[in-house]
Amino acid sequence: MLKLENLSKHFGGVRAVDDLSIEVNRGEVFGLIGPNGSGKSTIVNLICGVYTPTAGSIRLLGNEISGLTPNRRLVAGVARTFQNIRLFDDMPVWKNLWVAQNSTEDANKHNLLRRWFGGAGSDRDEIDALLEFSGLGGRGGELAGSLAFGEQRRLELARAVAAKPQLLLLDEPAAGMNFDEIKDLAKRIKGLREQDMSIILVEHIMELVMGVTDRIAVLNFGGKIAEGTPDEIQKSSVVQEAYLGKPQDVA
Amino acid sequence: MSDYVVSVVSNMGMIAFIALSAYILLVIGEISFGQQAYFGIGAYISGVLTAMWGWPLWLAMVLGCAVAGSAALIIGSLTLRLSGIYFAIATLSFAEMIRLGLLSVHVQVEIDGELVGPEGAEGFGDIRWIFENDVTPFEFMTVIYVLLVGVLTILFWVERSRLGTVIRMVGSDPLLAQAQGIDVVFYRLLATVFAGIIAGLGGSLYAHFATYIEPNVFNVMLGVHSLAYGLIGGLGTAVGPLIGVGLDIGFLEGVRVFQGYRMIAFGGLVAVLLIFMPRGILDEERVHRIKRWLERS
Ligand SMILES: Nc1ncnc2c1ncn2[C@@H]1O[C@H](COP(=O)(O)OP(=O)(O)OP(=O)(O)O)[C@@H](O)[C@H]1O
Ligand SMILES: [Mg+2]
Repeated sequence: MLKLENLSKHFGGVRAVDDLSIEVNRGEVFGLIGPNGSGKSTIVNLICGVYTPTAGSIRLLGNEISGLTPNRRLVAGVARTFQNIRLFDDMPVWKNLWVAQNSTEDANKHNLLRRWFGGAGSDRDEIDALLEFSGLGGRGGELAGSLAFGEQRRLELARAVAAKPQLLLLDEPAAGMNFDEIKDLAKRIKGLREQDMSIILVEHIMELVMGVTDRIAVLNFGGKIAEGTPDEIQKSSVVQEAYLGKPQDVA
Repeated sequence: MSDYVVSVVSNMGMIAFIALSAYILLVIGEISFGQQAYFGIGAYISGVLTAMWGWPLWLAMVLGCAVAGSAALIIGSLTLRLSGIYFAIATLSFAEMIRLGLLSVHVQVEIDGELVGPEGAEGFGDIRWIFENDVTPFEFMTVIYVLLVGVLTILFWVERSRLGTVIRMVGSDPLLAQAQGIDVVFYRLLATVFAGIIAGLGGSLYAHFATYIEPNVFNVMLGVHSLAYGLIGGLGTAVGPLIGVGLDIGFLEGVRVFQGYRMIAFGGLVAVLLIFMPRGILDEERVHRIKRWLERS
């Protein structure tokens, strides 16, 4: 599904991502964990086209996508959420979903006039379904900026899902959520996985990562220090060292 | 209506076009100091076509708009790679280039024993269409407002459409817009061309209302004012820039009390508003609240 090969991104002297290779299968929830600054968000930004790699390749379904602009990558099937919530705050909730929902067609410039002026009528059902999905039923008319934090997070997820991606990138979707909200998010992620969507989940909250992922890669200083199932990762001593420091360092 | 009122009201109508033009650029997130160039191009092209070549006004205006739109396409594709202050300076430079270019255009022909045509800094007089066709200032004012209502109707229609939503998204967060599959470069250029056409339309009306134009009419002060109108009135709806025009020309200039102090009052108004209402009186949030209130009642 997604194959990163020898991927690197350097910012001046900082090797944010360094010679990284990862493969994510179809319908798999793949966890990316690692300490702050280990390069997780940079990987997300490389896959969805905000950054161009210093070296290496990004293949989606066998096609090299690292040369595509971000909007083309959405068409190719990659959607994302942001580590810091990003919505069109001064637009109603439903408009935040309306554009994302059909943007693949827009980007291909098929039937542009109909897409531009066709009105929201035929999209309404789908928007309502997305609102239901995000627990925001009946609230489409409110400004996105006026929603509560947890609701905004859910709207962001709905917006990414609206584009019907093959690969969904979630950058710390549970940050700032309470326990119930995290449980609810876990349910949604499992639901999406059932629809055969591949998901990369970047997260610090281990209960969530261990609960929903099929495989996990652990990063440190832009490189992969371990990869395996949640069970394997939990037992690995390398991982504990990366997070907690080597025991002898402490002593 | 007295001649004075007709001329002030007509002026407001014509300036509204360039104010809307600058507003469209503000909506895509750019500050342009150069919309006066398209206004000037519309004025000169349509003026030449009616006064020198005897074209009918409507056709001359269509061509004036087309040339202004093409100029916006060319200048836009060069400047839209820039943003912020760099974009502002680049648009100003292009507009000044066009104004200085007009200063050196000398093409006159003899019509009925008189020389007609742009004569550099001397200006371009005798755009006689309005006299030859016995159109009164009042009638011409009506034409201005019919066209203005037409443009506004299109703008409102676009605003409600997906296209309008996409354009606003491009302006408010280009990175997020791209992440939703929007071709940001394409929509920015599209909006810029449309803005050029609208300014061109205002300019071609202006040439035939004033009957005399000169390059210095289209200097940067015109551009700065048109920007200020949207910033005062608000960027949430096309009504915003019209409020700005109404306040400045209708109120400050129309009401003679302010005569002589207009620029001071206007500058103060802009400064105060930018501090307290950075996106103008009718900003996106207020427009949203008004719309919801209208829907309920
Ligand atoms: N645009 C940039 N310019 C320069 N350096 C950057 C840039 N983006 C990231 N970095 C650096 O790259 C490294 C990796 O950052 P990144 O944001 O990918 O980490 P992260 O794993 O997502 O961290 P966190 O868990 O805090 O979100 C950091 O050292 C960061 O300072
Ligand atoms: Mg991060």
